[in-house]
Amino acid sequence: MPSISLTDVCVDLPIYNSKGRSLKSALLAQAVGGRAVDDRDRSVVVIRALSHVTLSLDHGARVALVGANGAGKTTLLRVMANIYPPSSGIADICGKISCLTDLNFGMDVEATGYENIGMRGVLLGLSRQETAKLTHDVEEFTELGEFLKLPIRCYSQGMMLRLAFGISTAVQPEIILLDEIVGVGDQAFVERSRQRLKTLIESASILVLATHNASIITQFCSEAIWLSHGRVVDRGPAAEILARYEHGVAPA
Amino acid sequence: MLETCRRGLADVRWGVSRWRVWWMLAWNDVRRRYRRSGLGQFWLTLSMAVTIGGLGFVYSHLFGVHVSTYLPYIAVTFVVWGIISSVVIESCTALTDNDSMLRHAALPRSLFTCRVIARNVIIAGHNMLIIPVVFAVFGIGVNANFLWLPVGLVLLVVNALWAGFFLSIFCARFRDVPQIVSSIMQVVFFITPVMYLPGQLAGRGFAVVKWNPFASLLEIVCQPVLGAAPGLWALLTCALTAIAGWAIVIPFAGRYAPRAIYWL
Repeated sequence: MPSISLTDVCVDLPIYNSKGRSLKSALLAQAVGGRAVDDRDRSVVVIRALSHVTLSLDHGARVALVGANGAGKTTLLRVMANIYPPSSGIADICGKISCLTDLNFGMDVEATGYENIGMRGVLLGLSRQETAKLTHDVEEFTELGEFLKLPIRCYSQGMMLRLAFGISTAVQPEIILLDEIVGVGDQAFVERSRQRLKTLIESASILVLATHNASIITQFCSEAIWLSHGRVVDRGPAAEILARYEHGVAPA
Repeated sequence: MLETCRRGLADVRWGVSRWRVWWMLAWNDVRRRYRRSGLGQFWLTLSMAVTIGGLGFVYSHLFGVHVSTYLPYIAVTFVVWGIISSVVIESCTALTDNDSMLRHAALPRSLFTCRVIARNVIIAGHNMLIIPVVFAVFGIGVNANFLWLPVGLVLLVVNALWAGFFLSIFCARFRDVPQIVSSIMQVVFFITPVMYLPGQLAGRGFAVVKWNPFASLLEIVCQPVLGAAPGLWALLTCALTAIAGWAIVIPFAGRYAPRAIYWL
């Protein structure tokens, strides 16, 4: 059964300037005992992006992450996707994860549409048969026809998005992590892509969605987590949290 | 400590076992480089042929070695040196070049070293086509010592994997290391018998070859093709380098490989 369980998770992000990136400076600092280095010139700044987050999500969870920019929403999604190992604490995630944050994942503009579909198939660890199914599905959904035989650098922006979206949503994951809802293409296509995403989300076991859009939260999520400065400020039914968040009332 | 080693080993195992991914990425790298050219990836073969042909005739005169000895030798060493030096240099950017992929999905770090190695093996596969031609022209055949080649290749890959894996993580943290490494490789090229025969280094100069693991690596892969058994010293050097390298890189990777994502 898919589940996400975080226990006292902290994430510290080191931010280096060019000096902190240099082996020469690092060795020099050792050699002179750090005295020659101006203290005000900090070559490493550590930002605590998540601080003591504990939560667990089970089958059926439909969770929205709300919070200001830089509150730690994307970082939390990356921890849930096993991309960021926690600096301390334990992250235990089971299930097939799909992180729909970068639709262009692993795509190569020099390769043709078909080659890109094949490559994604390999990246997802699909068998040959499953890849054939993926190809068929993407062909049908994107309606790109003959264009799939051309390198995707020849595509228009809209066609590129269609393909990327089509490929990214063709395989059903157990856990969906979304950073803002992606709507793509012209009028007719927006409707179809929304429908496709909806089906995907509804069949998933767990959904975690970071967004600023209230109507999307009420449509997809039953629960919300409010993040501020890397901490969980409040958690509860989506409508309640949303109301409090919009009025800026933090719980006592 | 044990836990750290276990994690390092798990990354390597996970990376190597996803061979379909790195093989696909490696092929795509090669194809994309030559996608819009008429000859395609056979440009690789052609430019290697020109280099070897040009160097072979000029330097055999300079060194006073007969061209039928010299040219086949460099035909083999250049192909093998191509793998060694490219793997070392390109591994430095293996993780930094793939930051967007690593930020999007949980992937083993060693996967990208495997990709670099596979890519250069594929390139060497194209370059290699010159060797039979050169051998045919100078009437050289292979003998039973050719059977040593798999041993040499295995040792080459095992060493390339630890060194590349180490460099890919280290260079993600320290961004001036790739430049340092490529300058070092330039020097190593001159102290390794790629362009000259090891026998030409008489006396004390020979120590440069003896204590140079790159020279040993070159020897164990090239000599079987050229019809000689690799020396025991070279085999031992490569085996020991591999053991020592892995002993360092496994705990190192266990500690730093997961953290590398924060450095990208």
